[in-house]
Amino acid sequence: MSAVELCLPADVQYVGLARLVVCAAARIAGMDSDRVEDLRIAVSEATTNAIMAHRRSGRPEPVMLRFGTDDQKRFQVTVVDSGPGFQPAAPEALNGRDWRDESGLGVTIIRGLADEVRFERGEGMQVSMRFALELQDLGAEDAADDLGSQSV
Amino acid sequence: MELTLNHRREGDKTVLEVGGEVDVYTAPKLREKLVELVGEGLYDVVVDMTKVEFLDSTGLGVLVGGLKRVRSHDGSLALVCNQERILKIFRITGLTKVFPIYDTLDEALQDA
Repeated sequence: MSAVELCLPADVQYVGLARLVVCAAARIAGMDSDRVEDLRIAVSEATTNAIMAHRRSGRPEPVMLRFGTDDQKRFQVTVVDSGPGFQPAAPEALNGRDWRDESGLGVTIIRGLADEVRFERGEGMQVSMRFALELQDLGAEDAADDLGSQSV
Repeated sequence: MELTLNHRREGDKTVLEVGGEVDVYTAPKLREKLVELVGEGLYDVVVDMTKVEFLDSTGLGVLVGGLKRVRSHDGSLALVCNQERILKIFRITGLTKVFPIYDTLDEALQDA
């Protein structure tokens, strides 16, 4: 994979910059506009989680984003932080969330938008997401249901 | 893009017009505005999201918080949104079954 790396200060004001840069790279790679909108939200979620992990644990280090097109013409984004990490909740059935619970919405959205997602907890957290360059023939509800293909 | 917030009274409802990007950086301003409206005794709110360019889970969380706040006063919080890219994340999170969502402000004001 020919990848670009973006080293981002752990400050929430830079989440918008992450969205801008990653989506520009995806357009250059030929991603269609609807798919870019999905990518934009997923990148925002993963980057927000990474930056907030650093803020909560008082870590001044930057977070890292690596992105590019893989051998199978899919756009891959990996967001790496050195925070305490987290164990993502098991994928819930569509409409299975308790709406009053405001936490974990970001993970639900990433799972619903990315074709594949992998959460790896080591000395920090690494979230890897893959997106086909063209929107698959799946509605949002079908995509959210199709969690069996994801690595978590 | 900056977040813009403007509110006005429409009959017995309060319309909060939101514009720009709602993310972790800007969402606290939206939360403060909703808290302020409830603090002023305005419990029936229509959030007009027609001019929202971007919304992620932080924004959703603020709207959920706002809904809980107004419901604790027997109030209501309806949304106006006709943008597919935003409606999609409401569907993914199941929140389409929680918020009344209208295509136009007129429909929201007539029905909410």
